[in-house]
Amino acid sequence: MRGGDGMTHWHVGGELAERYAAGSVAETDAWSLEKHVETCGGCAARVSAAVRARQEAVVLLDGVRAGVLAAVAAGEAPESGPVRSNQVRFLASATGAVLNGRVRLPGSATRAGRLLWAAGPALRGAWLLALVLVAVGALALAYGAGLGAATRPLLLVIAPVLPLAGVVVSYGRHTDPLHEITAATPSGGLRLLLTRTAAVLGVSIPALTLAGAALPASAAGPGPAAWLLPGLAMTLAALALGSYVGCRTGASSVAVAWAAAVLLPAFATSPLEIGKPAAEAAKYFAGPAAQGGWAAGALVCAALLAARRRSFDHLETL
Amino acid sequence: MSSTTAMSTVTVRKLTVRHRRTAVLDAVDLDFAPGVHGLLGPNGAGKTSLIRVLATVAAPSGGQVELFGSEVGAKSGHRSRAAVRRRLGYLPQEFGYYPGFTVREFVAYVAWLKEMDAAAVPAAVELAVARVGLADRIDARVKTLSGGMVRRVGIAQAIVNDPDLLLLDEPTAGLDPEQRVEFRALIRELGSTSTVIVSTHLVEDVAAACTDVTLIEAGRIAYRGTTQELTALGGEDTGADGPDGNPIERGYTAALRAHRAAVARR
Repeated sequence: MRGGDGMTHWHVGGELAERYAAGSVAETDAWSLEKHVETCGGCAARVSAAVRARQEAVVLLDGVRAGVLAAVAAGEAPESGPVRSNQVRFLASATGAVLNGRVRLPGSATRAGRLLWAAGPALRGAWLLALVLVAVGALALAYGAGLGAATRPLLLVIAPVLPLAGVVVSYGRHTDPLHEITAATPSGGLRLLLTRTAAVLGVSIPALTLAGAALPASAAGPGPAAWLLPGLAMTLAALALGSYVGCRTGASSVAVAWAAAVLLPAFATSPLEIGKPAAEAAKYFAGPAAQGGWAAGALVCAALLAARRRSFDHLETL
Repeated sequence: MSSTTAMSTVTVRKLTVRHRRTAVLDAVDLDFAPGVHGLLGPNGAGKTSLIRVLATVAAPSGGQVELFGSEVGAKSGHRSRAAVRRRLGYLPQEFGYYPGFTVREFVAYVAWLKEMDAAAVPAAVELAVARVGLADRIDARVKTLSGGMVRRVGIAQAIVNDPDLLLLDEPTAGLDPEQRVEFRALIRELGSTSTVIVSTHLVEDVAAACTDVTLIEAGRIAYRGTTQELTALGGEDTGADGPDGNPIERGYTAALRAHRAAVARR
């Protein structure tokens, strides 16, 4: 292992890690090992396990780490410029590598956990607030304002639009502050879009369905879950349309089309009666035939999206 | 050309980028091999457009762009582009961040986007953050940091995957003089193994950190040469800086004027 040229070719064996922990390795070999563990997570874990097996080393390293952090916090070091940054870099990475085993870092969680964390930025504050307002507002209308059974159709009509808004605010050049950076990465395309859409649906489906279930039921009206297939179909339609014109335009087109479909016929028959347009529109959800239509629409949009899956990592044309 | 592609990380042929109808880059030919390359030019010369095309963010309107020997233009396949993107580091001129993220989370998030091996991420994040001198602020929220520190977080996310091609658009903007000196040392170190392309309008950044210079003016290559050659264009070093600036600044002006004169004669 002398020479240290094989940074990518050799790894720290168990025996070497033991000797390093015991402090019985030659100085040059120790340096090679320390350089290597800066970049190799597997070996860093092996060496840290060997060091942690010896209690006195843990105490010593905790002391070093606390000392470094205290010195930096106290602002003692800055006068020595580059030397300081080298020392801090070495100590931080060395102690960091040793402590990795105990302190769980964001990136080292389980795969599912990381996916959730990656989707996290999708759930933007303004959108979450809108979601809560709609759910709480529906309950307030039903029980506070005495609208009663007329509220559920109203909620059902609004519910499918909310995931659309969630997708718009979480992905794309116009709304994602990180977009310029993500656009240059391998996962910045459909993979990221779907992760964030899944997060949006994962939050809005339970919230809106539970709110719907808490509303007073009307005898003939649709159930609280009736919006699920329409919501899914509209979200997929927005993504499929977005593969041609961008997510923002895609989602707003679908939302506008839905608003037109709900409001125009209802207003044509009986204007200015609150709850009436929603009750009319709720017919779009009622019965197996309507639901079957939404399911078929969702499948078509999903197929189109699958066929267009590469369009999201295509380069921006100016 | 096959011999140059074997040597070069970046090969650009007849690259044209149009913004509506104006040509921002006009049939540009360029090669970059490992080392630190300065991209100089007046504001609006086309530096950012070139960097964005090389970062696979923007599509060229015409011509070929090869990174690591694979074409990344409009017709390239998803797989080869993803493979290229894993080896890229990109610091945009402007970028945002999620308000709740700490420095560590921000850099780790980009590492995830770059599809790095999950086991290697925590150590790579700590190393990248330490290299830009922010080890003591690694668990601070990005929104609590100053403009220069956010810039350094941007550099950390660009280098977290140990990129073979590192593209930095105005990296020293907002850094104080001491941080600039440290930053130049960092990119010289990175340039020993990877190809580093630094776009800047500051001639002294190039003089201190770059081995060669590409001067862009109005979408065309005005000058290419080593930093020494550009300095030599500025004439004798009189020791003190005259009213026209130091030798490399005079060289920059001389090269720009020569190019403008050549364009005018055409």
